[in-house]
Amino acid sequence: MSILELNKATIRFGGLVAVNEVSFSLNKGDLFGLIGPNGAGKTTCFNLITGVYKPTSGDIFFNGTAITGTPSNKIAKLGICRTFQNIRLFKALSVLENVVVGGFLRHETGLFSALTYLPGSIKETEKLRADAMELLKVVNLEQVAHVRSADLSYGMQRRLEIARAMATGPELLLLDEPAAGMNPLEKEELLKMVRKIRDEHGMTVLLIEHDMRFVMNLCERIVVLDHGEEIAQGPPSAIRNDPKVIAAYLGEAV
Amino acid sequence: MKFWIIRILSIVGAIGGCFAIQGIAHTQNDYTQRLIILAGLYVTLAVSLNLINGITGQFSIGHAAFYQVGAYLSGFLSVRFFQSAHLPPMVWLFCMMLAGAAAAAVAGLVVGLPSLRLKGDYLAIVTLGFGEIIRIQVQNTPALGGSYGLNVEPKIQSTAFVWLLAVLCVAVCRNLLKTAHGLPFLAVREDEVASSAMGVNVTRIKVSAFILGSAFAGAAGALLASYEGFITPATFAMDVSFIILTMVVLGGTGSITGSVISAMFLSYLPEYLRGLKDSGGGPLTLSGGTVIAWMVAVVTTVAVIRWIYSDGGRPRLQRFYGLIGAIVGGFVVQLAVGTGLNHINKLHDAKVEVGQLRMVIFAMTLIVLMLLRPQGVFAHHEFSWNWVSKLFKRGKGATA
Repeated sequence: MSILELNKATIRFGGLVAVNEVSFSLNKGDLFGLIGPNGAGKTTCFNLITGVYKPTSGDIFFNGTAITGTPSNKIAKLGICRTFQNIRLFKALSVLENVVVGGFLRHETGLFSALTYLPGSIKETEKLRADAMELLKVVNLEQVAHVRSADLSYGMQRRLEIARAMATGPELLLLDEPAAGMNPLEKEELLKMVRKIRDEHGMTVLLIEHDMRFVMNLCERIVVLDHGEEIAQGPPSAIRNDPKVIAAYLGEAV
Repeated sequence: MKFWIIRILSIVGAIGGCFAIQGIAHTQNDYTQRLIILAGLYVTLAVSLNLINGITGQFSIGHAAFYQVGAYLSGFLSVRFFQSAHLPPMVWLFCMMLAGAAAAAVAGLVVGLPSLRLKGDYLAIVTLGFGEIIRIQVQNTPALGGSYGLNVEPKIQSTAFVWLLAVLCVAVCRNLLKTAHGLPFLAVREDEVASSAMGVNVTRIKVSAFILGSAFAGAAGALLASYEGFITPATFAMDVSFIILTMVVLGGTGSITGSVISAMFLSYLPEYLRGLKDSGGGPLTLSGGTVIAWMVAVVTTVAVIRWIYSDGGRPRLQRFYGLIGAIVGGFVVQLAVGTGLNHINKLHDAKVEVGQLRMVIFAMTLIVLMLLRPQGVFAHHEFSWNWVSKLFKRGKGATA
């Protein structure tokens, strides 16, 4: 059964059709790529899936249930979490605290228990911090756990975003240009990391990326968008040679 | 087990401390006692506004409205029902605090709801408007005394209650920040879209912050009403909101320690300046020349300090000496310019009472502090025993 399914998802902003009847579906354990030239509607697709925007028409299913128009925080609880293209960390918080915010949706003690500093909430805080520390090890950030997140290097901030999203314990992880701004070495490490996330943590990954080498190496299936429309879908080998895709990226032959 | 012992000891300590303050206050004259009470109320107000403004990042500038709601509701209830309730005064005062807190919490909910759609300056305008609506509504309600004010009977004065509320407010905010529950509040301040994507219920966090913060302000209002015995809408004018906001910003937005200290400092400063006396016992006066000299000295000192700190490459020690030098230099400039100007007869003979200049000095202190340290005195730091011991060790390490 597919874990995520877009069925003719469409969104219009006034006269602009940002995403037009896009349909694709992911199976559990997929490493799925979403590519296309700038302005193709990739990030808008993410925003539709995570509930930032409500589709004008069409449906989105997660594990068989419709999640169209569900608010973002509920979608995170259902098990879809994302990173952002323009990094959106909680800048004034430490690296560890950023990850704890991600894990916080599993909290059980109430606000009252926290305000009165009861043992339950203290223990829970310790547990959430320990869990967060484990995740920081996965992304190799345990050394800088107590540094203010705004002070990290760009590549580290990208990795921290992934750790923060993983902390919510998602079944489906959406990565929005995770390799942007990274050097080749960092990209190589990221590639291994994303594979590890899928293989060891059992998460399904859907990612947007501009670096073709990165996508072709990593993803098992790819959807290509252009001007909000889906122009191709299939394994990397097929996408690479698809004339429509080449035209979208390089323009028509004269 | 150890946890509970420490917990009980600290609660007993806090209560004991508050009664100790009351004991000290009773040995002082009425004026000093009033200052101690007002300081406690302002601590509560500043820390509770800090929860909304600094920790959750919702720019609210109508905090006096919640203060007023608490004060008027408890005043009204006291006038109507105290006689028939047959409760001891202290129990009644406690009930009034709860009632004031509850009423203000409802008001906080009402203001919190628009905060879900508004941000930054737009929210500020709504909260400002809300504050004015409450004040003008009370001014035009005869049952609440209108603009003549409301006589609150009975007058129950308890310094201990005021400070207990302040301690409770500080404790609640500190507990929030100590546990993981505080992080979503901070996350909402940092980035709403990202916190929502991480499963944080932004609506709930914002409304909780407004309800909690305004409830404390309401309880403070109830204590004010029963202490003063007389409240008018002018007691809660817009400038009270701004003073509370100033306390939060000056102390360092988000820092509880900063709010507490700046609340005490700013509620005391104008009163201190008002009470300055010269050696003869009359109000302290300065000649026109001296006043001008002070202005020149402050402006040059601030300019020099800003220049010293604008170059980040300077070593720490050099900057520190520069700071000391600039302050000493400021005094020298003041003396020199003052002596020079006082030779002009007109400036020498013009006498100004310092007490009358207090709001000018108050404003100038704020401007100077904001120029030298825009992030607030404490920035985002908090007092902790760890920090104290680190400071101590560092001092020892430097001498060794």
